[in-house]
Amino acid sequence: MRRLRALRPVEVDERGPGYVAFCGHCGTTPAQPAAQQSRVCGHCGLGLVLQAHADVAPRSDEPFLVIDSTLSVCAVSAQAEDLLGIDETEAVNQHVADFLVPADANAPSAENLLVLLVEAASGTGAPRSAVVRPRQEFGVRFRARIGPCGPPHAALLVLTS
Amino acid sequence: MRTLKTSEAAALLNVSPNTLRAWERRFGYPKPQRSAGRHRLYTHGEVAALRDALQQGLSISSAVSRAREALSTDTHTLVGALASFELDRADSAMEAALALRSVERSVEEVLLPSLDELGQRHGIDSAPWAFAARWADDWLRRAQRLAPPPVRPLSVLVGDATRNELDGDSLAVRAFELFCGRSGARVMTLPVGGVSGLSDVIDALCPDTVVIAGSHVSDDEVAQWAYRVRATAGPLPMALFRRGNHSNRVRTTGARVLPDTPFGAHRHLLVYVDDRPDERVGHGVPAVSLLENVEVREARG
Repeated sequence: MRRLRALRPVEVDERGPGYVAFCGHCGTTPAQPAAQQSRVCGHCGLGLVLQAHADVAPRSDEPFLVIDSTLSVCAVSAQAEDLLGIDETEAVNQHVADFLVPADANAPSAENLLVLLVEAASGTGAPRSAVVRPRQEFGVRFRARIGPCGPPHAALLVLTS
Repeated sequence: MRTLKTSEAAALLNVSPNTLRAWERRFGYPKPQRSAGRHRLYTHGEVAALRDALQQGLSISSAVSRAREALSTDTHTLVGALASFELDRADSAMEAALALRSVERSVEEVLLPSLDELGQRHGIDSAPWAFAARWADDWLRRAQRLAPPPVRPLSVLVGDATRNELDGDSLAVRAFELFCGRSGARVMTLPVGGVSGLSDVIDALCPDTVVIAGSHVSDDEVAQWAYRVRATAGPLPMALFRRGNHSNRVRTTGARVLPDTPFGAHRHLLVYVDDRPDERVGHGVPAVSLLENVEVREARG
């Protein structure tokens, strides 16, 4: 009688091709496929491994924030902590507008940034861009890439120069 | 309460022990106790709550926040039970707290904050406060009766300067007694209002230190009691717990002011007493002042 081979789980990236994994704190890409390891980053140990489309995902030196659908900050990368002068432990659960506000004079409305974030946090919407500045700071602007990330569903806001 | 060693907690969370220690430094969570050998001991409930939160979290910070929130439900339950005068449900809330924490942390993180909230909500002259305070006083006394017998060569005489069990400081004093007792010390609490027969009690207890706790009784009355204690037992080290702002008097008498939290106060007292070995003066023998010895040693650095 033919013996059945032992069943093995098949590793499938839930989000399909084109998505990359990165640490929510240091931004580095984990060495092993995400399914084979803990969600905690093996490099810094201070962030959870998230996934985002390659068009949005941060490069290792880019600061970023992760925001949920209620517009609360859920993660602040180490680079963003330095750039914005905030600690992730204090920023978590606060409204994103406490730290970043729209800075594009040509934007159709002040809510534009927040609308983009809510859209991205719902897991839909293509990668978009916006111009933002730190709250209570003037003369400083950053271009931001915004898109979905997770799991669970959240918005990724990557600050670029 | 189930506790885990660092390696066990790290395995449950699927991280390295170094990562766990890094989380303790950065997030203050999970917050381990220490074993007798100073090794970290994590409560299973805290680690399990964090593991669950990590599965649905977007960052360690947000997972820690969610885990803390999950643990704070015991406080909400206890406040709700006491506010609706349900003794069984209040007992159950404390049982649930004890499943996740040590007795000390259950008292400091659940029982006392719940009573504080009720006191703020209704005032400490209200019927709900009286109900809740009596239940809490009874719970703390029951816990003290279940504490292991004294094993530490330390006797503490507590001079209770609170009004009664409805005094806002009374529960903190009961908790302080409980923590000292659970640390292996022999503790006796006497009201500072009574001096009759005090020498008999002191002869039987042979206290190593005296703690004046509470702020209701006047300074004069406390001074009279403390004088009688020292006249019998000699110049024992004295400490103040929840006695209000008495900085001037403290300087002249050399009494220590203990932290306001029962756990902090009991730790402080144990460290203070443990730091002075072989200095015990036979009671009734007015030898060199222990307080002077301590002050000289501190001055020498």
